[in-house]
Amino acid sequence: MPPVTTGRVGGAIELRRREALKLLAAGMATALAGCGKPNEEIIPYVEMPERMAAGDPLRFATTLALSGYGRGVLAISVDGRPIKLEGNPRHPYSMGATDIFCEATVQSLYDPDRSQVARRAGVPASWDSFLAEWNEVAGQARTSAGLGLVTGRVVSPTTLRLISELQKRFSSLRWYRYEPVNDDQARTGARLAFGRAVAVIPRLRDADVVVSLWADPLGAGPPQLRQANDFAHRRGGPRPQRHYVAEPAWTLTGAAADWRLPARPENIRRIASAIGGHLGSGQPTMAMPPEETAFAAKAAADLTASRGRALVLAGEGMPAEVQALCHWLNASLGAPVDIIADPDPVADSHADSLETLVRDMRDGRLSTLIIADANPVYDAPDDFDITQAFAAIPFSVHFGSYLDETAAACHWHLPQSHVLESWGDSRAVDGTASLIQPLIRRLYDSRTCDEFFALLEGVPAPNGRELVRETWQAKAHGDFEAWWRDSLERGIIPGSAPSPLVIAPAAPKPSEPAGGPASLTLVLGPDPCLWDGRFANNAWLQECPKPFTRQVWGNAVLLALGDADRLAIADGDEVQIAVGDALATGTALRMPGQTTGVVAASWGSGRKLTGEIARNVGDRFIGLGSRAFARVLVQVSIKTTGAQRPFYSTAEFSRLQGHAEELFPSVLLAAADEPPAKESPPPSLLGTPPRGDYAWAMVIDTNACIGCSACVVACQAENNVPVVGPQEIAIGRDMHWLRIDGYGLPGKEADRYGFQPVPCMHCELAPCEPVCPVGASIHDHEGLNVQVYNRCVGTRFCEANCPYKVRRFNWFAYAGDQAYANQGEVPMKAQHNPDVSVRGRGVMEKCTYCLQRISHARRNAEKENRPIGEGEVVTACQAACPTRAIHFGDLNRPQSEVTQLRQSPRHYTLWAELNTRPRTTYLKRVYNPPRSKT
Amino acid sequence: MSQVEAATRRWFGAEVASVGVINRLVMAPILQGQRGWRWWAVLFFAAALSLLMLVTAIWLFGHGIGIFGNNTTVVWGFPIANYVWWLGIGHAGTLISALLLITRQKWRASLNRFAETMTLFAASLAGLFPIFHLGRPYYLYWLAPYPNVMGLWPQWRSALVWDIWAVGTYIIFSAVFWYTGLVPDLAMLRDRAKTLWVRRFYGVFALGWRGSARHWLIYERFYRYMAAMAVPLVVSVHSVVSLDFAASLEPGWQDTIYPPYFVIGALYSGFAMVVVIAGILRWALNFQAIITVAHFEVIGRVLLAASIVMGVSYASEWFWAWYSGARAERELVSFLFTGAYAPLYYCQLLFNVVIPQSLWFSAIRRNLPLLMVIAVVINIGMWLERILLIWSTLGRDYLPSMWRLFLPSLWDWAMLLGSLGLFLLLFILFVRILPAVSAHELRALLLEGKQA
Repeated sequence: MPPVTTGRVGGAIELRRREALKLLAAGMATALAGCGKPNEEIIPYVEMPERMAAGDPLRFATTLALSGYGRGVLAISVDGRPIKLEGNPRHPYSMGATDIFCEATVQSLYDPDRSQVARRAGVPASWDSFLAEWNEVAGQARTSAGLGLVTGRVVSPTTLRLISELQKRFSSLRWYRYEPVNDDQARTGARLAFGRAVAVIPRLRDADVVVSLWADPLGAGPPQLRQANDFAHRRGGPRPQRHYVAEPAWTLTGAAADWRLPARPENIRRIASAIGGHLGSGQPTMAMPPEETAFAAKAAADLTASRGRALVLAGEGMPAEVQALCHWLNASLGAPVDIIADPDPVADSHADSLETLVRDMRDGRLSTLIIADANPVYDAPDDFDITQAFAAIPFSVHFGSYLDETAAACHWHLPQSHVLESWGDSRAVDGTASLIQPLIRRLYDSRTCDEFFALLEGVPAPNGRELVRETWQAKAHGDFEAWWRDSLERGIIPGSAPSPLVIAPAAPKPSEPAGGPASLTLVLGPDPCLWDGRFANNAWLQECPKPFTRQVWGNAVLLALGDADRLAIADGDEVQIAVGDALATGTALRMPGQTTGVVAASWGSGRKLTGEIARNVGDRFIGLGSRAFARVLVQVSIKTTGAQRPFYSTAEFSRLQGHAEELFPSVLLAAADEPPAKESPPPSLLGTPPRGDYAWAMVIDTNACIGCSACVVACQAENNVPVVGPQEIAIGRDMHWLRIDGYGLPGKEADRYGFQPVPCMHCELAPCEPVCPVGASIHDHEGLNVQVYNRCVGTRFCEANCPYKVRRFNWFAYAGDQAYANQGEVPMKAQHNPDVSVRGRGVMEKCTYCLQRISHARRNAEKENRPIGEGEVVTACQAACPTRAIHFGDLNRPQSEVTQLRQSPRHYTLWAELNTRPRTTYLKRVYNPPRSKT
Repeated sequence: MSQVEAATRRWFGAEVASVGVINRLVMAPILQGQRGWRWWAVLFFAAALSLLMLVTAIWLFGHGIGIFGNNTTVVWGFPIANYVWWLGIGHAGTLISALLLITRQKWRASLNRFAETMTLFAASLAGLFPIFHLGRPYYLYWLAPYPNVMGLWPQWRSALVWDIWAVGTYIIFSAVFWYTGLVPDLAMLRDRAKTLWVRRFYGVFALGWRGSARHWLIYERFYRYMAAMAVPLVVSVHSVVSLDFAASLEPGWQDTIYPPYFVIGALYSGFAMVVVIAGILRWALNFQAIITVAHFEVIGRVLLAASIVMGVSYASEWFWAWYSGARAERELVSFLFTGAYAPLYYCQLLFNVVIPQSLWFSAIRRNLPLLMVIAVVINIGMWLERILLIWSTLGRDYLPSMWRLFLPSLWDWAMLLGSLGLFLLLFILFVRILPAVSAHELRALLLEGKQA
């Protein structure tokens, strides 16, 4: 394989003739010296080291941080190229699963839009020239006041060490750390309750009853994988949990709930008070609508009945007093929670940090500003007018992966290495530390954050690996090299999690929600696919359908049906939202099941400066409000501008109403074990195809599926599924091999919503096979319905005849010279899985059950002269799933998991009456509502 | 005047007194060499549209099938609808020639030549569309059973393979049938040609026809056998085409009524096209004396009968969807009446079933301009039927999450218009090179009456 090159030089470079000749000469010299050979001595591959056969994938443990907190992954690397990330089963915040951000990280590694060179005022420059300038500035900064450092949340021991060393060296250093998606309310609430900075970590696994007050433990975020795993463990277990969720707009937790109540934020606060009142906290009972009252009463009764195994969770949208009340409730219920010292050492709230930063900038207290991996120009509210504040800073430096909005406002921009190119360390939400190791040599002249801080400190040529080792040498016991090797291999540092504290919360103070007339309320939060916007340039994430709207390439202003009707707003209308003086425009979308009086929107879209992918996709709502990162904005007005906006979505929410009875059946827990009427497949003239050595099959448990979409992105990464871009989506051409269908349950769309992942059904009597004129769609002896790309001529009869519409056609050369935007550029090609064909224009493709993984297992089994074992083949979607909803195995084995699950009373087949006899089948969703609510 | 003569005179204008008049009328557009500005204007118009089709095809092969409006759910689109539509039009010619020959409907003599030509052109155009439809058109030959080192063969269970054979056979057969009927007329052109090269041109294709009794005997026998073979072939072609849809699992397609429904539909659109072409030729080539109002009257009756059958077919679809109780079928029918394409569906019903009911009235059947308008409307209606057949079923099948609409691209329209232009171009060249009606059969008809 050729070495990875970028294929383009970013931006406008102004060169004089002499410089150009110099560069030319230097370039020729490097070319002659050999491509990509490292400077150090390397050892030829005369004898093949063990486990290092060319082309065989290797796995390395490393850590990916989301908003600072680490999630352990295993990176699959083929011939020195990371091509896929999977969860690290040893890591407590991965549990072997991944989320969409983990899966998409490998795409951002090869993103051609990543910043590649240092720039001064936008013009390419070198790190050396930056250092020369920095040394001058640093000389003044050390003595005079006014050096500022802005970062995101930092819990990495090495980075914290380096920051504290910077603070030592520059006594005047002011460190501002903020994260747009933060835990300010939770932290303040914990401080109110416990009197000190602690983090409270719920153990969902041990709870029988969970009451979520707009908390979204199953939604995207650093703890998602762990919480989802715990949730699924209980849901599939013998004593299923019961989930009460009160929330203004849909969250994944709400969709998974047994009783979901759409409620306005202030009413959720009243529910909290009412539950507190029922449990003896002395909270006043406040007037609220009857549904809310009933919900609170029932939840409180259920909590009391399950004392010791009951849990109350408050989301970030709830104010600190409610958080404190929940801590008290949990303590009095003996709830399964762990209290640890907060891993985040900065006491300030995130919103305060950003506000202080802007104030200090404006007041001239900062003469030098270093911004490391943060984007305040995008994140700050419009009211702060931060761009103007930047103009007042004499020397500003942006260190980050993209030439983003903040980079444009700074004098210097310095490229940050990708996490898969970096050494480092991180801590998970519970404080478990783990190491970050690079999978590939740096593609560009970039530095890691640790190296950057060391450079600022004056270390001449810092080495990321040495910086991390230095940190841990002081902490590790015994043989450091053995410890180091062991920690890298495992992907976690054992015993690094802080031990839980035993402290009691203070009694809650009664509080009254802010009164006033009920106004239209805007609720905001991170985007389920783009988070706070840092993933906006990731094409996989932009094209990953959002859980409820199935929207891609943009975000929407979600309106409750009642409000939309009242305001005469239709899907796709351009709307203007006004909050005080701040204005934002967006695309309206009507959302069944959203609380009337609540408008919902997300952060992360509407990036103005970044790569080609994110530019001008969606609308920016993070600028609304006068307080940074506020999740609830009241007194909002909304009106149509009269314009229509294109709206990119892969399916309509409303369309799936009324179909759930047949396509997404659900049962009540009490009836879940009743065996259904025995259904045998109808007779067929075609007979039953003979079974080979294996009969691969998949069973998907819709009861466990939380709709997180990790499987969708995992499939895309594993199978070289190309991105098609918004224009193709608008025509109706998507390429995902695995889609997630969402069903609002009949008549109760406000309450219930379920997700159904749909890969290829691999029908035993596949309708796609007899219609192909060239035999490109055929059955193999193991029961797989396979597509022979080389043979396909593109009649598309197979997809026309597929009742499940799971086949995907290459209308253009999406993976070749007609790729969307930068997707066809050279670095992107390095991500391709070499075991999977990259499909050309004009051929049909579809889910293969990860045929390459089956082949891999078969090769291994044949080498050892044994059959493929149970659990040896793990498909990419199955590996990613945090709730283990996807099961895969061999139907020929009576004891295999899939055979067993197919006997389950919850088992059903999608469109069984068509007699296609799918190998992919489903388990029904189970509801466990309290008795009176059925 | 005997009764038989009166019966044959119905099919001629008053000025047709002798076979000489027939010969002169038929040969005039070819041998007199007058090209009015109208002819040139139409030629340029048709050539421009044909060029559009060529450009579209080049663009298509360069950029891929994605230039059309098809999507992941509605994977078929204009090319398939155009294919079925053109092939349907291509049915009338052979049917008029063969079926009417066997049933001794002598009035066919005025129509069969250009109707057969229409068949040939339309079927050939139709044959192009499956190629345009393919994702990888350069591998078209993989659908044919040819010996190859990989030992790969077409997949015979696929209706598309049956289709290739059916359409291929039909096109070859139609060409041979058309050429056979043309031979005596070519000989006449040879004999009347004024210049050496023209004489040689027609002479080569006349295959040495001298009009001897032996020639006529062989000709008549051969032609009749061909006709006998043609009739089942005509029925089989569109039956097989209908299996592209019927031999599937999709709601609205999987239906046993499809073969007869498609054959009648094909006849219907074909006869409608014959009306349009006959009307234009009659006026443009001064054929008023040999293509008479009586001809139109008869075709009008055929159209009326076909429209009733179409109406019954549509109604049976609705009935069976309701009677079967199948959810997908019922949803599909309700989508037809209430969904996004409902206006088009109502147009289809109006054009194919309601408007043609006016043909019950002889006055309308004999009113040429009105009849031609109705014929055009029927052709539009039949095209709508074909496209809606694809859009509705594919866009609304079993899983609602994948329900999608089809948005035609400009290239879709370009290809359709271009094919109409190419058809027109071929036709306008045809009428100047070959006799647009069969002179020898008209002569026979006239003489038959006189002898009686």
